[in-house]
Amino acid sequence: EDAERISSADVAVVEHRRRLLEEWYAWRAQVEEEIAEEREALGLPDVAQLLKEKTEGLAGNGEEQIIE
Amino acid sequence: MRPILLSGHERALTQVKYNADGDLIFSTAKDQQICVWYAHNGERLGTYHGHQGAIWTVDVEPTSTLIASGSADNTIKLWDLKSGKCLKTWEFPTAVKRVEFNEDGTKLLGVTEKRMGHLGTIVVLDIKVDVDAEQSDEKAMTIVCDESKATVAGWSYLSKYIIAGHEDGSVSQYDAKTGDQLVNYNIHELGQPITDLQWAPDRSYFITASKDKTAKLITARDLEVLKTYTADTPMNSATITVKKDFVILGGGQAAMDVTRTSARQGKFEARFYHKIFEEEVGRVRGHFGPLNTVAADPTGKSYCSGGEDGYVRVHHFDKGYFDFMYEVERERMNRLNQEEQQRQQKEQKENKK
Repeated sequence: EDAERISSADVAVVEHRRRLLEEWYAWRAQVEEEIAEEREALGLPDVAQLLKEKTEGLAGNGEEQIIE
Repeated sequence: MRPILLSGHERALTQVKYNADGDLIFSTAKDQQICVWYAHNGERLGTYHGHQGAIWTVDVEPTSTLIASGSADNTIKLWDLKSGKCLKTWEFPTAVKRVEFNEDGTKLLGVTEKRMGHLGTIVVLDIKVDVDAEQSDEKAMTIVCDESKATVAGWSYLSKYIIAGHEDGSVSQYDAKTGDQLVNYNIHELGQPITDLQWAPDRSYFITASKDKTAKLITARDLEVLKTYTADTPMNSATITVKKDFVILGGGQAAMDVTRTSARQGKFEARFYHKIFEEEVGRVRGHFGPLNTVAADPTGKSYCSGGEDGYVRVHHFDKGYFDFMYEVERERMNRLNQEEQQRQQKEQKENKK
């Protein structure tokens, strides 16, 4: 009986976490879309993307040097 | 986790900050010098000299061309990151407690202290991201905090809002163009100062730390509290990690009795919480005094903390950290991987046709 009670409590906790995780990522997708639209409407460049490309570019160079 | 101890400061740390590439760490302390270190090995790359008082704050411009600092000598200074040369000094009637660049580095805000005869303000300066350019003397905008002084402030996504945390525990949202206060909400316990405000990478949400022993995750657009992280000691700093859904909190009560320091050893810990589940997942010991400031590497490889003890500690995450997952997270990752595989198979089929 105890084991059953514990396991149903565990199931509830896991269910709760699953819901939190889904809610979070659904919210993130929505916000990212909204900001991208707003950014485009304002004609602003995607700074994060530019920086990411710059960082990846640097990482790429590092790898090339290792190959040499 | 392999810690690296950065010793070079002689007084309590006030802020630590990574550049966007995550390869450099900037630190300020009450000892009047700004240090810059290599994040991967902790070697000191240089210092920036010129302030005449304790330095409260530092920020790195997004392209790692400039840095800005704010000090008890009532100035904000702008520096050439590479040469260490001071490019510009702006003077104010009171100390500068916080500086932050906006997302493209063309604007800098400064939070000035309240003092007899002077209300706390948030000033905005226009910045030219060019070490050879003449910087403007004029302030682009001044927001006066007549209710409760701002202790921290920052720029939201698209530089749309300026968000400030206040001494009374409230959070304000200002229109970043006009300086008008749009809303002010009591978010932390009334009368408990907000000690830190740090952004998620896209600046759509942020985390605040407070003396009320909590940190909160809040949206920039509506100031909606998404999550609350509860600790058992006043919090001085909080930061959001990338790659993993964690937040890191730093704080601790200042030692009242110096002779007890050894007994308190190790009590000062960086606390890791799961960002989404709000549960504490781990602690990292090391400092001999309260953690005044914590920062997460924007590339997700490490974090660092600055203590009242005068040390900066850098921790590079190990495999165990990256492998750690809740059951439901693993489930989600497997599902996404499966979907990605199916998508690729479908693509290959279509290419064959």
